[in-house]
Amino acid sequence: MIEATTDELLDYLADVIERAERLGATVLPPNDAESVAWERDGDELFMDLAVHPPVGRRSRLVEIVLRERWRAVGRERWLLAEYGYELRDHEHAYRRALHRHDVDDFVRTHGVATHEHCEATIGNPACDHYQADSPCRGALDGFDRLYGVWLTGMKPDCSPLRCLE
Amino acid sequence: MDRLYYTPREIAEILRISDDAVLDLIHRDEIPALRVSPRIIRIPVAGFDAWREGWKPRRRRVAIRATSNRIAIGEGEPLPEGAQALRR
Repeated sequence: MIEATTDELLDYLADVIERAERLGATVLPPNDAESVAWERDGDELFMDLAVHPPVGRRSRLVEIVLRERWRAVGRERWLLAEYGYELRDHEHAYRRALHRHDVDDFVRTHGVATHEHCEATIGNPACDHYQADSPCRGALDGFDRLYGVWLTGMKPDCSPLRCLE
Repeated sequence: MDRLYYTPREIAEILRISDDAVLDLIHRDEIPALRVSPRIIRIPVAGFDAWREGWKPRRRRVAIRATSNRIAIGEGEPLPEGAQALRR
């Protein structure tokens, strides 16, 4: 379980954007502005960040989306409750995703809180959910993993992944 | 296809420095790099080019603002079969 203070989360969002830009990605609106924000709804904070990897005019065909939901667990303290880190490469027509959501359902059914998606052809998955290699340590980790997939320039090989059945 | 990344060895050749010097720059977080496995490091071409030109991303000011537009993570994807049965 990942916990953070409010101040740490403010720094964290700036860190994620900085990391993406240092690696050459383009952060999409509204997070390309000088000032960015966590979205707050009651006791929850949301991150919703999208970037294009740097492949010139074709970059519009590739998108990495980083989403998180943090839940308040005390005064100025937050717990990472859900994440969804997605890579969609429409140039090569594949999707990779690292997810933690509907945790109770996944734990009850599969005994795991996190799962992955791997579609060598978008919309045509061989398996609905794959066992996660390891839980992500947050958006920095999720971004690095997905950016590393995109950097190969090839469709992912889903065959070594274990399907949750 | 466009080149997307360099290896540390290629960076050493481009900068005309040793492999160890490149790894030191990476470990000091100067050259932007990705560790894709315990033994493999990749340096994105775009990130390296920007670093070489002295470009640095601007640090964002971050705030918290109210929203009623909740983000649904995993929305639309099939849930585990057992969960679906329990929800029916």
